Amino acid sequence: MSDQPESTETEASEPSELEAYASDLTERLGAEGYTVELDTVRIDVSRDKWVETINTAREELELFSWLSAIDWSKEVEVGDPVADVDDLDERFEVLCRLSSVKNADGAIFVVTLPKDDATIPSLTSTIAGAEWHEREAHEMFGIDFDGNMNLTPLYLPDDFIGNPLLKSYPLIAREVKPWPGDVDVEPMPVAEEEAGSDS
Amino acid sequence: MTTPDMIHRSEAAVSVELQTPEMTLNLGPQHPSTHGVLRLIAKVDGERVRSVEPVIGYMHRGYEKISEVRTYLQITALVNRIDWVSGFANEVPFILGVERLAGIEAPPRAQYIRMILTELARISSHLVFISSYPLELGATTPLMHALREREYILELIEEVTGGRFHPNFNRVGGVKPNYGGGSTTKKQSMDLPSGFFQRTSEAMDRMDTIANDIDQLVTGNELIKMRTVDVGVIPADKALEYGLTGPNLRASGVAYDLRKVENYLPYDDIDFDVAVREGGDCYDRYMVRLDEIRQSARIVRQAIEKIPTGPLQAKVPRVLKVPRGQVYSRAENPKGEFGYYIVSEGGKMPYRLKIRSTSFSNLTILPWVLKDQLIPDLVAIMGSLDFVLGDVDR
Repeated sequence: MSDQPESTETEASEPSELEAYASDLTERLGAEGYTVELDTVRIDVSRDKWVETINTAREELELFSWLSAIDWSKEVEVGDPVADVDDLDERFEVLCRLSSVKNADGAIFVVTLPKDDATIPSLTSTIAGAEWHEREAHEMFGIDFDGNMNLTPLYLPDDFIGNPLLKSYPLIAREVKPWPGDVDVEPMPVAEEEAGSDS
Repeated sequence: MTTPDMIHRSEAAVSVELQTPEMTLNLGPQHPSTHGVLRLIAKVDGERVRSVEPVIGYMHRGYEKISEVRTYLQITALVNRIDWVSGFANEVPFILGVERLAGIEAPPRAQYIRMILTELARISSHLVFISSYPLELGATTPLMHALREREYILELIEEVTGGRFHPNFNRVGGVKPNYGGGSTTKKQSMDLPSGFFQRTSEAMDRMDTIANDIDQLVTGNELIKMRTVDVGVIPADKALEYGLTGPNLRASGVAYDLRKVENYLPYDDIDFDVAVREGGDCYDRYMVRLDEIRQSARIVRQAIEKIPTGPLQAKVPRVLKVPRGQVYSRAENPKGEFGYYIVSEGGKMPYRLKIRSTSFSNLTILPWVLKDQLIPDLVAIMGSLDFVLGDVDR
């Protein structure tokens, strides 16, 4: 997580095989940095080198697995907010996962986009399978994929207004009628291990 | 891959150049062969499909958004509704991801139970394919045989979990203790129902029998072969570009199976083969699934032999708060790689949950693979990809 000190959890143990792999891959691709957390390799890529890096990486990580986005937002209409709201750097993260089909290698490539300029080159010229994933990210987050000729709504109706997966987008059903789970279920007992828990 | 200049028997009689106007053929959203509510807008030129535009979203339930207001335990009940044909298999990668985030490991017996139920879900999912695919090609008999055998599997799953389709059986740190159990004392009853292994073993013998029966009925059938061999060929590089996984990828000659590759559940203790075929056509996709039924039965038999005794649940705090972190957890679902990217900000609910559903990725290849195919092959190719619309739309 990049708004946190880099991979504090893994630094406690000796540099793992996975970390050696991640740093090697980052160096070979000329990417900006990496984090290894819970066996998940994340490689940071700059927006200008997005398409180029993914294409180079696909020579060894052949399988295009998925592409999606995260909305890091201070204004949260649904769910829990981020832990340190004040320190949060509002942004989009676009993630693309590539996997090897020979072994367990794989990495998630991450590019950070500012909220006011959420445009990124499209991967569709070399990875045709990315088209639907980009259409989904476009309608759900409002991210523009430059070069994707078919950014029409995928799931949503044509006349739908808004980007539902944005944190600022309310869950209308929840606004109209509160989730009964909150009131019907008796409060959970606070166990000894959870001393200090506020629920 | 059939190229436009190859002449099919149906076209051979027309030797003079006849101009046919391009027509739009609409298929679905309610169509028996679309496995739910998928709509295809096909531009056809005579018998040839020139382009296909799939329209999805009729079943979009917004699970990724709902997950942001549900606790981790509540999400388990949601995720087994994504691909309802193999509900249990969808729970496993999610719960493994949450366990990795929370630093909890399920006891070995729970891991084995998860593995057995995942394989039962795989057999049940493949039996649905084995029954519905020949039906789409015009053969009705396998439907009756395969669906009858699926009931034995669903009964086993129901016996343990209480649900035929939506088990909701996984808990963070193990599986739900079974209080029914057929036993009277509470201590003993916190386990699988008595006699479960015996019945499972018998059911696995039935699965070998049905696989052989289907072999006799379908595999060598001339008509089935004419409809499927060399039809809808997907080369390996295209399959990888479109993110195909599971049997669809393995039929194209790529031996990629997360049960062998990824370190999850005790698959390392089990001796089984990855079913691979080289052709990449509809017939091979069917054959891979048939082989996998036999392999899954093999896995279940060995797991029954090797399952250790012990508790079903690790010690977990009553109020589960997952520490901050991000994890990508994936597992081999009957249809391919099923993954969850979980972003936790330290609360009771995830900040973001990306669901990498298998059928969605498998379906993205549809416009490519249907281009320039014959209209009768459209249904044959679509059926061979084995998708479930709930898994596409999420």
